[in-house]
Amino acid sequence: MSALPRVLPAPRGPHARRARRERALLLVPVLLLLGLVVGLPALRVVLLGFTRTELADGVRSVWAGLATHARTLHDGRFLSALRNTALFTGLSLLLEGTLGVALALLLHERFPGRGALRAAVLVPWALPTSVMALAWAWIFHDTFGMANDLLERLHLIGAPVAWLAQPGTAMAAVVIADAWKTTPFVALIVLAGLQGIPDEVHEAARVDGASAFQRLLRITLPLLVPSLVVALLFRAVQAWGAFDVVYVMTGGGPGGSTETLSLYAYQSYFRYLDFGYGAAVATQGMLLALALAALVVRLASRREEA
Amino acid sequence: MTLPAGISRFVVGVVGVVVVALGAAGCPGTRGAGRPALRFLVPANERPFWLPLAATFEKEHPGLRVDLAEGPVNTDLRESLTTAALLAGDGSFDLVYLDVTWTPKLAAAGWLLPLDAAFPEEARRDFLPQALAAGVFRGHLYRIPFRTDVGLLYYRKDLLAAAGLPPPRTWSELEADARRLQKPPGLSGFLWQGAQYEGLVCFFLEVLRGHGGFWIDPETLEVGLDRPEAVASLEMLQRFCAPGGISPPGVAASKEEETRRLFQDGRAVFLRNWPYVWRLAQREGSPVAGKIGVEAVPTVSGVPGAGTLGGWGLAVARTSRHPDEAIAFIRHATSLASQRLFCAPTGFAPARRDAYDDPALLAANPFLPELLKIHASAAPRPVVARYAQASDVLQRHLSACLGGLASPRDALVAAARETRALLGSEP
Repeated sequence: MSALPRVLPAPRGPHARRARRERALLLVPVLLLLGLVVGLPALRVVLLGFTRTELADGVRSVWAGLATHARTLHDGRFLSALRNTALFTGLSLLLEGTLGVALALLLHERFPGRGALRAAVLVPWALPTSVMALAWAWIFHDTFGMANDLLERLHLIGAPVAWLAQPGTAMAAVVIADAWKTTPFVALIVLAGLQGIPDEVHEAARVDGASAFQRLLRITLPLLVPSLVVALLFRAVQAWGAFDVVYVMTGGGPGGSTETLSLYAYQSYFRYLDFGYGAAVATQGMLLALALAALVVRLASRREEA
Repeated sequence: MTLPAGISRFVVGVVGVVVVALGAAGCPGTRGAGRPALRFLVPANERPFWLPLAATFEKEHPGLRVDLAEGPVNTDLRESLTTAALLAGDGSFDLVYLDVTWTPKLAAAGWLLPLDAAFPEEARRDFLPQALAAGVFRGHLYRIPFRTDVGLLYYRKDLLAAAGLPPPRTWSELEADARRLQKPPGLSGFLWQGAQYEGLVCFFLEVLRGHGGFWIDPETLEVGLDRPEAVASLEMLQRFCAPGGISPPGVAASKEEETRRLFQDGRAVFLRNWPYVWRLAQREGSPVAGKIGVEAVPTVSGVPGAGTLGGWGLAVARTSRHPDEAIAFIRHATSLASQRLFCAPTGFAPARRDAYDDPALLAANPFLPELLKIHASAAPRPVVARYAQASDVLQRHLSACLGGLASPRDALVAAARETRALLGSEP
């Protein structure tokens, strides 16, 4: 990953080459394991995407070449799922990136109880997603939910809002729940990045008369870019594949307005028994995720070179 | 990337706790050894009423055990759980408790055992023909009906009588009566299920048939959604829930229970719903007890309409290790004694003919004879293997129209196009 700050200089010489070979050898078990639990199933899904599933006296898969993939082009529901996935990913990254950096800056300061707080911040991230999504679905419940109660007490809304029953608010609710869970992850990586910024740089800037705001804008944030990119890269890929938070909170509704690509692939598999098409949707989603990741890395490395 | 020691120690701790917790949660429960068990999935809210049936079966078959796995109340979730179990083919369920619409899909996938030999002609005569026919796919019987359902029109007898009106036979009569009697927002004219889910399809089909239209012809796979009858049907529903119409705007987000509660609170003149409402609305303490009547759904012409057929039945999983015992349980569960045990306390409509003359059941549910009459014209949903997909297409476009996102014609033309594309791949 070129965006990572290089900690050690690359070793050179014959001795180093042998060490590198040994290191590569040590990676073999991990690669085998990954190939077994990730590679093979993924390959099977990709192959399944080139078949058409027939339901007659049993489930049969017939080789169909690209025909199954071509179905997505005329499938309004696929396009709407794609749009929802992109919207969800964009909004979550924006929210989590902003809040994550703010949280990291706060946790970087010295104050009593900082250690305990740093640990506490991680709790949402450690919770199983379906559990926290269920809690958020109740928070956004129109009659019994805390969100409406709070907003009504603050006189921000006049009547209860049916958050999960309207397209716009349902998407917002899902994004908020997702941000609550994953902001700590972003904050943690950014915090590590913050700790990698030498104090001397700040010291020098202070001597030169830079204000706290100028130091944040000119020193801290630019030096944080590499770790922020890493955090957002992880998050982008995860958000693109979002399933559990949406499945539990809205089930893809209302009117399919929060249905993501993974949810659609799941429905095709389990409700429609259309394994070929479900696999095609999943494969296209995966390819788009890879393209997205490549784009983020490319943008980041170009920025670093500049 | 290096983390400060404190954080990484903590991360390791948290991850450890989560892994252990998930591992513990994921462990399968210990299954009772010894007597072979018949296992199947029932919704949590029905389980208390299944227990007496299991108990009487175990008494008659001392060597066997019935293991009622408690599933989610939500039908779609149970459909996914059932599919996952059958797909895995691990024999975790011996019986399948299935909705009327699941039969084609599960039978086409080859996951159900044909019951033709186990239930010969004379045994089949015990059941309501419409309910039994819903268990047949491509000439074979896969599902034995356990309880049945049909869409009904409930009306407020007292309000209609006070205005000197007979129960409406046509949609225009219903609309005129509702407009005359309603006093929104306290008293709505007509409540129905307009949320994006299967219930909307059930109701729309009743309206569509009443207009002389059709959705999918299961024989020719012809699609009738973009014909004038279908457009007129949806235009009528759109008019109902438009401002100044006979249905409150919230109807476009309502399922059965929301509408049942409003009607039962005396806040509507007409309600389209299933038979279970009768018992709840007539019981002591209900504001509308003794004030409601039931009719077949209206039509354009005035002939009694055909309500959509619903209901639940039992099938045997092909991977079951005890198929004969499973069949014995189906016979037991669909006996008159069992129907009495299950339907009297719940108010569900029995699937057996003779249950409708049974004094005990009639005492618990006096409207059974009327129900039987309406059930005789119940219409099934199209028997196609890709039913779930076709229904989702229709649900989405109907909901888009009722939500104001598309005109009735545009919504139905799009739905027809997608349905044809879908059925083109139907084997």
